[in-house]
Amino acid sequence: MTSPQVDLHATLDTLLQQIGLELAFVDVTQENGIAGLREQVLAIAGALDSPADVPEPIRQAVTAARSWLDERSAADSRFTAETITSFNEWHSWLATALTAWAHGQSCAAVPAGWSVVAAPSAVTPPATTPTAAPARAAAIAPADDTFQDQKVDVSVTAGDTELVQLFCAEAQDLLQDIEQGVLVLEANPSDSTTINTLFRAFHTFKGNVGVMNLVVLQQLTHELESLLDAARRGTFQLGRESFDVILAGEDVLKRYVEEMSKLLGSNEQKTTIPLPIPRLIAKVRGLLAQGRSAAPAAAPAQAAPAATPPATPAAPAAAKPQPAAAPAPVAAPVPAPVVAEKVAPAPVKPPQPTAVPAPAAVTPVPVPAPPTSAAPVQESADIASAASAPKAQQRSSASTSSGIVRVDTLKLDSLIDLVGELVIAQSMVVQNTEVTTLTDGHLSRSLGQLRGITSDLQRTAMSLRMVPIRNTFQKMARLVRDLALQQGKDIQLVLQGEDTELDRTIVEELGDPLIHMIRNSADHGIEPVEQRLAKGKDAAGTITLRAFHQGGFIVIEIKDDGRGLNPDRIRAKAIERGLIRAEDSLDEESIFELIFAPGFSTAEQVTDLSGRGVGMDVVRRNIEKMRGSVEIQSEVDRGTTFTISLPLTLAIIEGLLVGVGDQRYIVPTLSVRESFRPLPGMVSTVQGRGEMVSVRGRLTPMLRLGRHLNTPSRATDPTQGIVVVVESGQESRCLFVDELIGKQEVVIKNLGDMFRNQTEFAGAAILGDGRVGLILDINSLVKLKSKNGDTAA
Amino acid sequence: MKPTTHQHATSQSAVAALPGKYLTFTLGDESYGIPVLKVREIIRLCPVTAVANMPEHVKGVINLRGKVIPLVDLRAKFRLPIGTDNERNCIVVTQIAAPSGGTRLYGIVVDGVEEVANFVAEDIEPTPDFGGALDAHFITGMAKSGSAVKTLIDLDKISSEDGTIPIRELKDLHS
Repeated sequence: MTSPQVDLHATLDTLLQQIGLELAFVDVTQENGIAGLREQVLAIAGALDSPADVPEPIRQAVTAARSWLDERSAADSRFTAETITSFNEWHSWLATALTAWAHGQSCAAVPAGWSVVAAPSAVTPPATTPTAAPARAAAIAPADDTFQDQKVDVSVTAGDTELVQLFCAEAQDLLQDIEQGVLVLEANPSDSTTINTLFRAFHTFKGNVGVMNLVVLQQLTHELESLLDAARRGTFQLGRESFDVILAGEDVLKRYVEEMSKLLGSNEQKTTIPLPIPRLIAKVRGLLAQGRSAAPAAAPAQAAPAATPPATPAAPAAAKPQPAAAPAPVAAPVPAPVVAEKVAPAPVKPPQPTAVPAPAAVTPVPVPAPPTSAAPVQESADIASAASAPKAQQRSSASTSSGIVRVDTLKLDSLIDLVGELVIAQSMVVQNTEVTTLTDGHLSRSLGQLRGITSDLQRTAMSLRMVPIRNTFQKMARLVRDLALQQGKDIQLVLQGEDTELDRTIVEELGDPLIHMIRNSADHGIEPVEQRLAKGKDAAGTITLRAFHQGGFIVIEIKDDGRGLNPDRIRAKAIERGLIRAEDSLDEESIFELIFAPGFSTAEQVTDLSGRGVGMDVVRRNIEKMRGSVEIQSEVDRGTTFTISLPLTLAIIEGLLVGVGDQRYIVPTLSVRESFRPLPGMVSTVQGRGEMVSVRGRLTPMLRLGRHLNTPSRATDPTQGIVVVVESGQESRCLFVDELIGKQEVVIKNLGDMFRNQTEFAGAAILGDGRVGLILDINSLVKLKSKNGDTAA
Repeated sequence: MKPTTHQHATSQSAVAALPGKYLTFTLGDESYGIPVLKVREIIRLCPVTAVANMPEHVKGVINLRGKVIPLVDLRAKFRLPIGTDNERNCIVVTQIAAPSGGTRLYGIVVDGVEEVANFVAEDIEPTPDFGGALDAHFITGMAKSGSAVKTLIDLDKISSEDGTIPIRELKDLHS
């Protein structure tokens, strides 16, 4: 114990010297210095966090200093004459006290004015603090609603744009690490590697916000960091409350970062957003104070992490005397808001509602919260994240060390463009008629080598667009945790194949549909625990999210073992909504398809999660936009599986090249059902104009592409041309073209803003001869209203 | 229309009316100028892929070394006679502001490129009021160059109007 003790005193001495220096240079109404001072006071607080034998007066003094700083930064972040005087006094007092402590002597009590007001009744602010700022009020307030959201500045200084951009990008990564880490820890609260990772993430974040001079955020991150630091040293046992606080803190930081990056992209001059930072800080401090006094006794006894918070509130009450006089111990009032907090969230959705002890909220004396009200919910969430735990853990340690370079996506896109140009230029050289007549062996070897390198380069460039689906999947872990908590269900999320790589654009677009479907599974699919037990299933429902390659597609499967889709109910609902008629006979597959119809919802009860009848149709539309498809398999009481198939990349499609007049168009092969040269008599007309082709006994409307696109067509008689049957969704249509030229893989190019209002073409591609070919938008051609299309024919 | 009010209408045009270097080119018998900073390159005429159902002056799209860029015929846009193609005809590839932010490439067919001229403030006169005889809202000024007059135009303004063709009801697509 001697050596860490000596170290501690050495550290404290250094810090004290730095504070002395800092104080020597501060000036009234000046801002600079306050951040540095804060950093050092916080460092002292951090150093004093863990040792058990820190004399109470020293702790009180540090707390007092922190509250002064809080108050100053809540006001105008400037020193006042009073603050400087107090700090100078404080500095010399602390120096004496620390020396006394180091020599094993007892130190003097803190001067009367310093201690934070002990009891809520004694609201007279100490003489040294000139104004009763909101932050001060927050630090002592007993009830939750006293904590005002703090307005936080998010404005970006013009010159800082680049710095802010970097900050935001890095912050997003760190926050994601934090979220994952917490979910891992929930399953296994004593996992020291993850605690360390989390601690480091917060530490880095704190450093970053420090560079950005975001004092308020720095405070919050510091508090969270100290919480984790205590957990890391084993003096604090992480539990449900701490995880909630950390996640809440992460949410606050995330909101801030999001607002900031939004501001970056716009010219908006919005400067502040309200964030519940003071409340969170008070909560973290409360937890720490509570944990510190409870830890020695309670920690070893607690095998189950969920039991920690409910068990501890009694301890501070016993350990600290109830505050009565003004110079009372500062630590005692702090747990009070925590208890109030703990009681407040409990009624959210307790499975077995217990009477909420109302007096607890009003008395400053900590009262044990009812442990039963929260426990089952906690358990379920713990299990929910258990499945993803081991992998997430490996990743978080891996991601810190892997060499990843951040690249602007615009640069990436232009690189890919350039490689595309290179490939075309290379083929132009190789296919040049002059070059092909040359018989020099040397040249042909070199050309072969050039071709090889170019295609390697192209493959590598394309792979830059591919990212693993991991991040999107991990977001779902948090979603399921929150859903399970909200609904009091027991849900386990199993992730498989997170390393499957998808086109960056697809991964981005996939997030929303996935959230929707996972919500549906958790809300409608997985039954409440009692129902599951009654059916003889495991109490814990399982949602499996799986990604894998299959035949040139990426398949994403969302599978739950819930109640499954009930065809009879869907049918009844569809009839009620007028989607089908009562006499329609549909097979099971078509009935399941109905849930994708707009305005369809079978949830008996609309919850705030899902069931409002928007959703599945949007999901399908989003997925079809990416040229993918969704399928459903379901069995009553066994569960439902949604299977999403997506193309490997959005950048390349396989197309059927068709010729009309002197123009060539590309029809995506995915939409083509068949093509043939019609025999005489296959095409019949209605009113002499509307043309129909009989395809396997089904009459399908025919659209003459040449007329529709104002391109003079060579073939006028249907038997001279080719009919291509295309389909989109349930509908199909025949496109009449002059000829089929071939099949070709093409790189899709955007047509650009100028053509944004036309609906005929989905994009363009460079064809083999260097000319531009247009890709037909089959969806809009198939669904073309007859007044627009067929009257022209 | 007075140039001052016009400058308020589009922030881009205010830049175009400033003195500086302009690329001048001919359309029929007339001479026009655009800020040289907007010009990316000048290329020969190349095969154009027509895009159906677009206004007459939108010729279609071309392949600029792997990029698909729109091509506009300003002669059709300004209702000038379109002469036969000759070897002086070329495409000026310009870089203009995109409505969605950033810049985009935009090709214009011209009868011939003249020179890069430096216009000082005294050379540039505000757009005269044509009394409604023509639509002058994309003209940012008139520049005197010797005895000739060059019309300075705002490409951002012109291109932003090109996309305005009748919009079909979007919901038809999803019905």
